[in-house]
Amino acid sequence: MNGSVATVGRDLGRVLEALGGLMLVSLVVPLLWGEFYAFPALLISAAVPLGIGRALSRRFRTAEAPGRFHGMIVAASGWFSVGVFGSLPFLLVAWSVQLGVPGVTTPGQTATLAAFIDPLNAVFESMSGFTGTGLTMTDNEEVLPRTLQWWRTFTEWVGGVGVIVLTTAILSRPGSGSLTLYQGEARSKKIHPSVVSTVRTIWWIFILFTFVSILALWVAGMPIWGAINHGMTGLATGGFSITDNSIATYDSALIDFVLVPIMLLGSIAFPVHYLILQGDLRNIYSDLQTRWVFGYMGVGSAALWALLYFAGPYDTPFAALRYGLFQFVSAATCAGFQTAVDATNVGLDRWPAYAQLTVVFGMFVGGAAGSTAGGIKLIRGLTLVKGIRYQISDVFFPASAVRRLEINGRRLNEEEASREFMEAAIIVVLWTAFLITGIFLLLLTLPSGEYSLANVVFEVASAQGNVGLSAGITGPESLPDLGKVAFLFHMWIGRLEIIPVLVMLRTVFRRGGLYS
Amino acid sequence: MTPSELPVVSAVFEAGADDRLFDSLLLLGPLVIGMAAVGGRSVLVEAIAIAYIGVFLGYTLYRGVRA
Repeated sequence: MNGSVATVGRDLGRVLEALGGLMLVSLVVPLLWGEFYAFPALLISAAVPLGIGRALSRRFRTAEAPGRFHGMIVAASGWFSVGVFGSLPFLLVAWSVQLGVPGVTTPGQTATLAAFIDPLNAVFESMSGFTGTGLTMTDNEEVLPRTLQWWRTFTEWVGGVGVIVLTTAILSRPGSGSLTLYQGEARSKKIHPSVVSTVRTIWWIFILFTFVSILALWVAGMPIWGAINHGMTGLATGGFSITDNSIATYDSALIDFVLVPIMLLGSIAFPVHYLILQGDLRNIYSDLQTRWVFGYMGVGSAALWALLYFAGPYDTPFAALRYGLFQFVSAATCAGFQTAVDATNVGLDRWPAYAQLTVVFGMFVGGAAGSTAGGIKLIRGLTLVKGIRYQISDVFFPASAVRRLEINGRRLNEEEASREFMEAAIIVVLWTAFLITGIFLLLLTLPSGEYSLANVVFEVASAQGNVGLSAGITGPESLPDLGKVAFLFHMWIGRLEIIPVLVMLRTVFRRGGLYS
Repeated sequence: MTPSELPVVSAVFEAGADDRLFDSLLLLGPLVIGMAAVGGRSVLVEAIAIAYIGVFLGYTLYRGVRA
């Protein structure tokens, strides 16, 4: 047996065991809400990954400790597996309602829940949750059983923590801007010296922020069940909602403005949160990514406000500010909550193309590495800009000159600078290539003339950036099956920042075995 | 046995920002949310929730200014 297979198998087993555990914890929801018909479905859903996971982890319990390649393959295969097995509650609850559960009162089937009878829709919803995307196969989230409302929220929340752990502790590498970014200079005290304590601390920060977010939304006027769900998905910058029109359902400017800082919290690197909680407030402006989170969101929101007010659909400066600020922050943090809908104002799909493309730009860049946000990440954009400037100015120095590239207080020598610049460039090129491929594919599969090019670009960027805003294309009927499969891939690679997925696919398809 | 030796409490104390007030907020969070869920929207529960948020923000700023 290849030793690497054993290592990956054991760790994948542990991931599946954890997924089963999350489902077991969620069993309290159908009990609290009296949705007893959902209980067996959730229990069986938990038993499957638990059983497979236990078998794998026991079979390979003596495997060697994982290296970097194993980490990448476990991350890629783990996220994929969690997406697949996480679909079981959607699938089984939908079938439970469809067929009825003996001895238990079962509600009538709804068109929204019936969509999950199709396994592809269930996997789509699950993958969208665990990748923190927020695109959905539901027509009306309000009519979903509370059990599934919770499971959607929980997938995004756990996926949010997962990606922070992944980028901060497990897959940190040059140019990823995650842990390496916070190892330099005096900021290296923590997040913590070991992976285990790092993970604990990330959970600690995340849970504390979740409580604060939930209570802030509740105080702003949101009902408690909505506050719990939106607080969790807002901080995780996932964007699943429990209402049909996302946040627009509440039609409350106060709720909109309270959600903005919650989404921003999720898009700031968690090592910076740690330092701020320890009293080092300087990081708000001294940390490159955090400074840019505020600067870039501010400039982007102001630009969108101007477009929406002076040349767009809103009549008052306040309305343009309210919807422009919220939608740009929602896009750039990759949360994907929506307040611009036709039911209360002007739907995103009816915004002028230039306004939609401004939002797309926000999705493309995303938030900070080491946060829950998607996109290419601010640090890569900044590394590219600084690297290009560095390369061009190189012409003006003698060949013997010793030069350093400074990024966030770290002084990189020529080799380090070249490596980080290349990594950032590779990610951006791959990201763009997959985006363009997805756009072509969607244009080929959608009925011609039904959606504009801006709509299609918007939707694919939203899936790959793990944003979740929709121009109306994503839905159980409106998105063809091929488009759903393509979006599954976009969401997956977007969450894992592409490279781990490519490493896994190369390993599986070309080598026929794992790296030894 | 002291409170800090209880399983959940000790796990909370061991992780995080090494600060007992933040740890306490983390431990009290479910209680306040539970009050909001069970007790509904009343002046008292809203005041407690506002106090919770206020303490979190105020103490974060206080630590930053003091440092």
